[in-house]
Amino acid sequence: MTRMTFQAAATMGQLQKRLDNIGNNIANSNTVGYKNRDANFSSLLSQQINTEPDPTNQIGRLTPDGLRVGSGAKLGHTNINFGQGSLQRTDRNLDVALLEDNHLFQVAVNENGVEEVRYTRAGNFYLTPVEGEQVMLVTSDGNPVLGQGGDPIVLANNMDDLKIEENGQINVTRNGVQMIEGELAVVEAVRPRLLEAAGNNLFRLSEQSLENYPLEEIINGVGFADKNMESGAIEASNVDIGKQQTDMIETQRAYQFNARTISMHDQMKGLINQLR
Amino acid sequence: MLRGFYTATNGMMAQQRRQEVLSNNITNAQTPGYKQDQATLRSFPELLIQRMENRDIPNSQNTTVPTMTEIGAINSGVYVQETIPDFVQGSLRETGISTDMALVQGETPDEEGSIFFNVQNAEGEVRYTRNGNFTVDGQGNLTTNQGHYVLDETGNPINTDGLDFTVTPEGVLELDGAEVPLAVSYTANPNDLVKNGQDLFELNEDGEALIDARGVAGLQFNVQQNHLENSNVDAAQTMTDMMQAYRSFEANQKVVQQYDRSLDKAVNEIARLG
Repeated sequence: MTRMTFQAAATMGQLQKRLDNIGNNIANSNTVGYKNRDANFSSLLSQQINTEPDPTNQIGRLTPDGLRVGSGAKLGHTNINFGQGSLQRTDRNLDVALLEDNHLFQVAVNENGVEEVRYTRAGNFYLTPVEGEQVMLVTSDGNPVLGQGGDPIVLANNMDDLKIEENGQINVTRNGVQMIEGELAVVEAVRPRLLEAAGNNLFRLSEQSLENYPLEEIINGVGFADKNMESGAIEASNVDIGKQQTDMIETQRAYQFNARTISMHDQMKGLINQLR
Repeated sequence: MLRGFYTATNGMMAQQRRQEVLSNNITNAQTPGYKQDQATLRSFPELLIQRMENRDIPNSQNTTVPTMTEIGAINSGVYVQETIPDFVQGSLRETGISTDMALVQGETPDEEGSIFFNVQNAEGEVRYTRNGNFTVDGQGNLTTNQGHYVLDETGNPINTDGLDFTVTPEGVLELDGAEVPLAVSYTANPNDLVKNGQDLFELNEDGEALIDARGVAGLQFNVQQNHLENSNVDAAQTMTDMMQAYRSFEANQKVVQQYDRSLDKAVNEIARLG
């Protein structure tokens, strides 16, 4: 009897998780370079209930012996949708959007004293002062963006103008003279499915994938000629608000259905109690 | 005791079991490729009722002759005989994620025929599924959303190397120049398949083995990449069925109560002294 409540209660917990995921997508619908995440369900174990193996029981049966009743549903993995987001013009000098699929910027992240290179599609960069009258190109979280050679891009202060070219070159104007003072490094994720989300809008490579593939087979440098970006623009999040809202309503209704199941079960228990 | 007491109780138990099946369908209303179960009710085997009595024959010896007359058949209750999965095609939903695939079943040579993806469970055995919500694991293998390997036509796991791929409508995975046909199996009688949980179906011991769907004459199917097959549970229909089962449960409960009242009368009112 209690199978009904177990099924519904277990599934409600999982539906809540799906709502969490949808909520996260909606919250990031304005995050530059954010990639939508999708989670789907899978059914839980089926229980075999062996009924009376009486020969009369066999008459007209279509399925093998016994009854099989499932025990609810649970969420499977979360899939990242790597589809390109729309371009949004900002005309800000430090904004740049990657135009090719699977191209990524490299970011140096220092987490608990461990230096690691992570990857991002977010091209809204900033300049932050560093020692010696210099500025460094960083992401919105303040992590240094890597240039050619894997070093942070550090420029001398006191510039009149700065522009990021379509090929990633950083064009600085000082006293009316234009000069290329740095170049953004771009890499291509050859095996994009091996990337995992690392928070702060960054992707990283899991240890498991690094065990199976050497780094250079997962991430490939993009040559100067193949770099393709749009300056003065950012790649908007690829979250489709309409779809997320629909999913949210659908999930909420499913939640209600399951809640109804529990109350119906409760009423049935009540009926049993009223027997006497 | 009154026979109907047990009949009505059986009715309650059967409706309860039916309710469990329906509520499991409701919980899986959002599971891709889920096939809803239908509970079938069946009455207990018929019993023949006979009347036994003695008849006195008014002769000199005053003989007593036993007689038996058949009254007729009676069913003494109901039970859930089986839960039959409904293999009807679910509607398609676009997700835009390249590891999502939906099997679309067209004409089949047999009325009941059905097709499935082949996957490998933890024990290395072949299982069948309609849930095409696949992903790629850290080793680059194509897996289901519970981590079971998806098999190719030769029965081996598919290693995508983490690369992007496309799937043709014929179910061939095109991967960096290589072509890997996904295994798609066909069975004329899907009722031989038993639900294992995690969206997997297992072939019953004495069931007929599934065959490669590509070799079946008169079978039309295609694989849609970037799509998922929705669960074929109709929430409105299921909710209605649940309400019906609930009321039926209630009606049986009322019958039990009525029997109880009859017994009450028999015990407390008939032959009351004083």
